[in-house]
Amino acid sequence: MPTVIFQLPDGTERKVTAASGTALMQAAVSNGVPGIVAECGGNASCATCHVYVDAAQSGLAGPPNDVEDEMLDFTAAERRPTSRLSCQIHLSDALDGLVVHVPEEQV
Amino acid sequence: MSPLTTAAPGAPVVDLDLADLRRDPYPAYAELRRTAPLAWVPSVGRHLLTRYEDIVQAEKLPEVFSSLEEGSLLLRTVGPNMLREDDPNHRRLRSAAEPPTRPRQVRDLWAASFERTAHEVLERIAGRGEADLIADFAEPLVAANLALVLGLRTASAEDIADWSRAMMAGNSNYADDPDVWLRAERATRAIEGAVAEVAEAARREPDGSVISSMVHADGPVELAEIQNNVKVIIGGGVNEPRDVFGVGAWALLNRPGVLDRVLKDPASWKRVFEETARWVSPIGMYPRQLTQEYEIAGVTLPAGSRVALVIASGNRDEAVFERADEFDIDRPHRPHLAFGGGPHFCMGAWVARHEVSAIAWPLVFSRLKGLRLAEGATASDSDSAAGRMDGWVFRGLTSLNVTWQAA
Repeated sequence: MPTVIFQLPDGTERKVTAASGTALMQAAVSNGVPGIVAECGGNASCATCHVYVDAAQSGLAGPPNDVEDEMLDFTAAERRPTSRLSCQIHLSDALDGLVVHVPEEQV
Repeated sequence: MSPLTTAAPGAPVVDLDLADLRRDPYPAYAELRRTAPLAWVPSVGRHLLTRYEDIVQAEKLPEVFSSLEEGSLLLRTVGPNMLREDDPNHRRLRSAAEPPTRPRQVRDLWAASFERTAHEVLERIAGRGEADLIADFAEPLVAANLALVLGLRTASAEDIADWSRAMMAGNSNYADDPDVWLRAERATRAIEGAVAEVAEAARREPDGSVISSMVHADGPVELAEIQNNVKVIIGGGVNEPRDVFGVGAWALLNRPGVLDRVLKDPASWKRVFEETARWVSPIGMYPRQLTQEYEIAGVTLPAGSRVALVIASGNRDEAVFERADEFDIDRPHRPHLAFGGGPHFCMGAWVARHEVSAIAWPLVFSRLKGLRLAEGATASDSDSAAGRMDGWVFRGLTSLNVTWQAA
């Protein structure tokens, strides 16, 4: 099972392991990672599970899909080239060791 | 699973008077959060779930807390619709209806018209020097915007507002008043006719509206499904932005210092919006029915149990929001529950945010010089004491009388 590291705004980090196929957002919420609000439960309609993929790994998670790309224009924290909605990233062995940064604000 | 219309074994039973709840539900909610965070309330026929964390937990489990509630007032008022469906059927309907309400569409397709309409509505009253900002401004504005987004070209803003009022009354008709049902039925028949006409036109000529989007959805959507879902959207689409507008404007008119800061920093209108929706949530609660036995807030609910997720209470939970009864745009950020959560997260959220915080408030407060509350109603900070808020299923100002220098 892949393990992902969430870097929190306060400088601490949370390691989360979840089954392949699980949405990164779901893995965060199930493990109580703070700052991943996910109001809409994974339907890409609220923009409150925003994360920044670590710059060194930006190719690993791939680009946002079309709907996600739209929502990323409306996140509370600034959009960056590495911005993704964590509900649209699905874990796989290829993503083992992925590091994502949780922004200060989600709404 | 048939609905259970009795208290779960072990659930505390708390008598609440519906008239008291309508007048001011917050003291009762505070007491419930302290002493009975899951309580069977006979006058409502449901268990009320009132703490923030419990509500969030329930929202994250749509397969347990089903939206398919049998015998709900909303089903009776508008017929089967996406608010009372679970996935995948909910998803099918939501996906068909949603594209025109997404934020980029709001910005690119609707914002200019919203702004034009806001100016037109305000021009009608600007020379008067006094108005009820609910009836004379907010309601006509949001109703016109809604007609546009839905694609209901043949309906006037007055039609939309009247229909919305009639259906919302039905949807919160816990007292089972027959006149309320009759009015709701007249409204829904009128909407069905209007939708049928517009859907036929949109089939030939797509126009980017919700009705058009549903007509042309990838998965087939029946006309009756379009009609029923338009009814639901008309209900919420007027109420919620109108009430956020009114409560937020009222809160600022009672706090000149805060208003002054907001006017100097227009980016803070967004914070005003979110804090207003937290402080007095336009939708106070919504029902769920359990598909299986589940323990929450210390009570094991049997399958079929009826629960109300009282988001108005969750949004005043002191465990999450310090000085929760106060309106404070500077409070440490915690997400509120006013738009609901999970798959049913409010479809109109982006429309409402834009029309209220980017257009309506900034326009009213910049155009109407010397705007202030009429009737010397500035003394109290408490919504309840002022006596002009009403409702618990839906809550907002019934009027907002103001004066200004009509130059």
